[in-house]
Amino acid sequence: MENNENLNVATPQEESYSPIRYGLGAILAFFGFSSKTHRASKKRAKLVGDIFTYAVLLFGSFLMVYPFWWMVAGSFALTNITGTGNAILNRMVWWPSISTFNTELNAAGGFRNYAEVFNRAFPRIAKGFTFWRALGNNLLYSIVPVVIGVITSASAAFSFAKIQWIGRNAVFYFLLAAIMVPGPSIMVSQFVMYDNMGWRNNGLVLIIPGMFGSIMTAFFIRQFLFGLPTSIIEAAKIDGAGYFRIFCGFILPLAMPAIMAQGILSFMGCWNNYMGSFIMIPKGPSINLPHAIALMEDGGSGAYSGDFGVVIAASVVCILPVMILFACFQNLIIGSLMLTGSKE
Amino acid sequence: MMEEVTSEVVEIPVDSAAVTEESVPPKKKRKPINQQKLQDNLWGWAFCIPLIVGTVWFVYIAFIMALMLSFTNYTLNKGSMLEFLGNFSDNIYPGGAFYWYKQVFTHQTTTDYPMNEAGAYLFNTVFYMIGIPIGMVLSMFFAVCMSRDIKGGNVFRVLYYLPCVASTISVVYTFKILFESEGVINQLFGLDFNWLNLTGNAAATWNSLNGTNAAGAFMNDPYWCQGLFQKMVIIIMSVWKGLGGTIILYVAGLSGVNMATKEAAQIDGANGWQIFWKVTMPDLYPVIFYNIVTAVIGGMQIYMEPVLLFKENYMTSGYVSLIWVYGLNGLSASQARGAAYGMVLAVIIFALTMFQFWLDSRNKD
Repeated sequence: MENNENLNVATPQEESYSPIRYGLGAILAFFGFSSKTHRASKKRAKLVGDIFTYAVLLFGSFLMVYPFWWMVAGSFALTNITGTGNAILNRMVWWPSISTFNTELNAAGGFRNYAEVFNRAFPRIAKGFTFWRALGNNLLYSIVPVVIGVITSASAAFSFAKIQWIGRNAVFYFLLAAIMVPGPSIMVSQFVMYDNMGWRNNGLVLIIPGMFGSIMTAFFIRQFLFGLPTSIIEAAKIDGAGYFRIFCGFILPLAMPAIMAQGILSFMGCWNNYMGSFIMIPKGPSINLPHAIALMEDGGSGAYSGDFGVVIAASVVCILPVMILFACFQNLIIGSLMLTGSKE
Repeated sequence: MMEEVTSEVVEIPVDSAAVTEESVPPKKKRKPINQQKLQDNLWGWAFCIPLIVGTVWFVYIAFIMALMLSFTNYTLNKGSMLEFLGNFSDNIYPGGAFYWYKQVFTHQTTTDYPMNEAGAYLFNTVFYMIGIPIGMVLSMFFAVCMSRDIKGGNVFRVLYYLPCVASTISVVYTFKILFESEGVINQLFGLDFNWLNLTGNAAATWNSLNGTNAAGAFMNDPYWCQGLFQKMVIIIMSVWKGLGGTIILYVAGLSGVNMATKEAAQIDGANGWQIFWKVTMPDLYPVIFYNIVTAVIGGMQIYMEPVLLFKENYMTSGYVSLIWVYGLNGLSASQARGAAYGMVLAVIIFALTMFQFWLDSRNKD
């Protein structure tokens, strides 16, 4: 009997453990970790896990957001004083030691860097070039191709998803294979092609190719359309509506979430398209905003490399519209991206 | 619909008559065109014509032209490309059709660097891919954190996606100053070297760093010494910028993981770590594979970030810079040469992608 009792002793709460181990177990259990001596409550484990998660995520978000704060603060750095110059910006961590709000050193007002961007910086890049021209170019290069391109993509997606025609799948895979061709490797022949057609100097190069739509956009809208019931289209057909009518009246409104999400994503891509402008458009009044900012920094003609606060201010101006757009439509965009993730 | 039905009704007696009488030759009898089918075909084509034209024109034809260009000696001042390629056989490069391809593989940099030029640029490109696994692990970690049952997960998702939205140019200029010798990063870690350009205008070597005179040291080559610091900046920046997109894909993937299997494993006594590796990861495999494939394809095309920070040079620039430098930059550029560099890139990317799919198919067996 005694032996038997002795064998059963090994339950967790017995004092067969050393006091140190017992105490450690108690502390661990307080922080939500079960051990041999103590079993932690599930609630406590969840609480501790949540606190840890929040700490990690908050730290990560700080890393993600800090450069943007830095950018905003840096756009108020007064970098055109002889003697200090860019050093103010270089040393800045939270707020510039000499900001543009310092009225003793800066007579041009608190928004001096922004005023410089709007009024003086861009004419130095090319003759007859202004900030508003660059902004207009950017809007033109992003709104026109995106709106028209997303509609052509949607129409192709409609055709691929809802109309039965001969060779449909063959054509679809033929087009989808185009994503295998890397952009940089056809950059040269595209460059020559656009040059021969005279699209480079007037900026048509960033407008016309985009208007034909893109196969990836069409692919995502097609995936979305597969989820729509075909019976709507059948019903509309019986009522005598043609395909064009069905597309405008049913497909466009019904697929609007997908179309909007794809449109906004490609708008952001076009807005930030530095490479397209840099490769294709020669320095002149047709370049877009990111390209102009790059030229501002350049020793070439913009020559703000010694007054870098202005370049940072221009960067903020360039980022702000997409940030506002993203803030307004973040639900739609993230939802659409999530859909991509779950589809793959 | 009605039309279809009536046409069929009409068709049947004609058919039976033909069979019974046998006097009407079958060739003359034309099958009535199905109005609905015709409509489908016409409109089906009509709706995708713009996309077909655009893709064929700007991708396929451009690709074929680039391929043809790479065998010639075309430059912009030789006039229209179409006319030039029209008499292709006359315009093949005098020194042999594969002249430019030989150039790609043999051209040396002006420095006495052991690797040839394309090799050095390709090495940089591949080196930047160190960022891919780092980004994968980090984004998986954050995604797992976000998919816990916590409040405000959506806010974090938006915050982490912000860098993806920002334009490259702004991000590059911000990081350029964050990594200055007096900049935030150095202040944080108490360092005082300049990541971007260690000793003024000259590229840093091991000698200039520690003051010794180790002439034969491996790190005495600026390619290794200076290049490593500069590449680290690019890697940090691209991981930072790309994290959000991957996180969102992973969060989506994690929300699709089968909950029943998870709970079953929990009841069987598996701990969180085991559940993650044995249940979650296999379910996530397609997302991870998709991410890796797209990241490698994108990584091979890295161009703008190093060039904006450091200009084109053999220590930091990606392979695409060669296409720009030899094919497009200025009046003396030879478009044919650029096209050849581009074709080599296309082959490399294609081979890498095929290799990954091959690994994937082997994995499934």
